[in-house]
Amino acid sequence: MLAVLLPYGAWGDDFARVRRDAAELKTVQARFVQKKQMKILAKPRVAEGRFFYAAPDSFRWEYLKPLKAIIISSRGETRRYIMSGGNMIEDKSGSVQAMRLVLSEIANWMSGRFDRNPSFKAVFKEGKDTLITLIPVEGNMAGMIARIEISVAGKSMAVKSVRIIESEDSLTMIDFSNVELNKSINESLFQDVE
Amino acid sequence: MKGISLLLLTALIFTSCRSLPVINPVLPPAGMKEVVCPAPFLKESVRLIHAIEFRLAGENRGAVIGITVADPATRSVSCAIMTVEGLVLFEAESFPSLKVKRALAPFNTEDFARNMINDIRLIFFTPEGDIQERGTLSDGAHTCRWREKGGARIDVVARQPAGIEINKYKECGYRQRRIRLNGPEGNIYQRIELAAEETFNYSLLMTLIEAVPLAGEQNREKTGNAK
Repeated sequence: MLAVLLPYGAWGDDFARVRRDAAELKTVQARFVQKKQMKILAKPRVAEGRFFYAAPDSFRWEYLKPLKAIIISSRGETRRYIMSGGNMIEDKSGSVQAMRLVLSEIANWMSGRFDRNPSFKAVFKEGKDTLITLIPVEGNMAGMIARIEISVAGKSMAVKSVRIIESEDSLTMIDFSNVELNKSINESLFQDVE
Repeated sequence: MKGISLLLLTALIFTSCRSLPVINPVLPPAGMKEVVCPAPFLKESVRLIHAIEFRLAGENRGAVIGITVADPATRSVSCAIMTVEGLVLFEAESFPSLKVKRALAPFNTEDFARNMINDIRLIFFTPEGDIQERGTLSDGAHTCRWREKGGARIDVVARQPAGIEINKYKECGYRQRRIRLNGPEGNIYQRIELAAEETFNYSLLMTLIEAVPLAGEQNREKTGNAK
């Protein structure tokens, strides 16, 4: 099927359907493997972790190896913690804000809101799995990310994989596995580090 | 007038030079022409990946991943900084001239790029210039002092069991950088501490994740290209 590049307003029906399908999605939990490819790296750098999402906008993005790090977001507040000297300490660098933009987007995508962020133009391509390409328009994301490709499982509309293309030389691939939908998640996971 | 005097006094305090730590000459061991200098520097091209915790003005600010490709033969450096999540914040290379390939705020200043490349060279490459003094400091630590063309001095100090310290002093004696390499023997870059004394002081704690010598990779590339 041909990808059609149109302003996302023209895709009202598609996004409405995706949103309708995803509206039934209350929680998602999954494992993920993240592979970072860069020219400066001879082979992709692999990180593994787990992801929790609860509608409408709570998430926990947790790296288990090789480095332990956690981003938790709930009620509009995002915090990041890193392992240092055996303890998780809060990261107060500006890069938290950059990651908040990206991860908040993933939370939006989990609930089918691919067209919510005006910083992106969305392109919709249906197939066995639905592929949604987000291209930054002028704004915060332009210059930071070239495009984002999201593969969504056909029936459940849960996100299967994400490819974040920063430039010709830099690509991040995130594959989700062991996906469990609408299973109860303790609220404290979105509040506490432990 | 009083205000001007105060200003001049303040300027004098901040610009007056300091004396460098005294290095006491020692006789070289029997059979050797001169005292051997500590040499914690790279001998071959390598790719290093470090987890880097950084502090600004003493406050813990965060952590990033640092990738360094350094070749001591050409003194060339390629480097990148990315978040733990993989977002590239900064990427630059020094050869043939400084080229910043990507820089997101707050890493998007030319000073930052130049300082970063210089810090990497200070950590991993033998100082440029001549060895000016060899001997021991007052605490007995073996030390060699290089003098660079611009007048800066670099002391390389071996302290057992604490590890190796690299101190860079401006021409007039102010210490600009203090680097401590205290990884285990054979893995000197396992843990690197860097303290920078600038307008805004900062410090880095670098913990090695991966070190890969590049000779093998380069040979493989050549073999691949020959096919």
